[in-house]
Amino acid sequence: MTDERLNVAESANPIEPIHQFKITDIFNIGTFGGDGTPGSGVHLAFTNSALFMVLTVGAIGLLLIWGTARQAIIPGRVQLLGEMLYEFVANMVRNTAGHDGMKFFPLVFSLFMFILVANLFGMFPYFFTVTSHLIVTVMMALLVFFTVVIYGFWKNGPKFLKIFVPSGIPFVVLLIVVPIEIISFLSRPLSHSLRLFGNILAGHIVLKVFGGMMVALLSAGAWGVLAILPFGMAVALTGLEFLVAALQAFVFAVLTCVYLHDAMHPGH
Amino acid sequence: MSGLSRGFRLASEFAAAIIVGAGLGYLIDMVLPTRPWAMIVLLLLGFAAGVLNVVRATKEMNAATAVPADTPALRDDEDE
Repeated sequence: MTDERLNVAESANPIEPIHQFKITDIFNIGTFGGDGTPGSGVHLAFTNSALFMVLTVGAIGLLLIWGTARQAIIPGRVQLLGEMLYEFVANMVRNTAGHDGMKFFPLVFSLFMFILVANLFGMFPYFFTVTSHLIVTVMMALLVFFTVVIYGFWKNGPKFLKIFVPSGIPFVVLLIVVPIEIISFLSRPLSHSLRLFGNILAGHIVLKVFGGMMVALLSAGAWGVLAILPFGMAVALTGLEFLVAALQAFVFAVLTCVYLHDAMHPGH
Repeated sequence: MSGLSRGFRLASEFAAAIIVGAGLGYLIDMVLPTRPWAMIVLLLLGFAAGVLNVVRATKEMNAATAVPADTPALRDDEDE
């Protein structure tokens, strides 16, 4: 089983644009349940994805611990960075979710920092991009979704259902509007997760395609001169990808605030 | 926000509602003997919800970016 998987990993063409998203086991924990045949049971392993999640959390922890260690009145560089990140997210929460939304600040800040650092880690060559896997972004979107639902019902009781009933609409129209509002509400975690995943996946594939084109042209003799064209594209796209990495973390956090606002103040 | 990310935001808002509507209808059809009507109705409602999502997202974006002061007023049919 393990040998087979290794062979597949080695035979895969590293220039192929999808190869970078391959999940590989770093060390095996074991297979639980199942009847011993290959593919049955739950296979647990510490993968490259898990490694980069740990590195992401470690980097954030180090940065913030280092930044808050000295608490100088005139901040040093790292302290300033930490304070700017705090102020940025705090202002976003206050503006979008309202002042009472600050009780969700830890959640929004954690999500923002995790996505931002994971996206930026993905920009290093040979690094694995955690947010390029749908399961990761879906879990974060579902976390927000269930926070909204549970907190909304806990805080407002059955009044939370007013979120599905716009005020000032005759009863007959409500029969159509309420199902539409319910579908619109249920579609939130999907669009929330698809956007982050899609942006990161597409960006990394495009980068790799231009990189692969460059390698192919360079190995084609005199035509190698043309490799300067995809090289220019790759340089420009790398800049764009840094923008996308920061922007998508911001968009994810802003939408989290918008949804949390609905949980606290149902009824439009 | 760049044009690319605006476009991606609106596209995903629209597509997600349709996927959720169709999926919900499919689930209802599996449980109840209404096949294929729940899926058809909910797919159409999903389209409506997608339009609603796009309108809300656009309203939000418009509120976030102020209109420049030197923007000329648009002419419409009433002005003729």
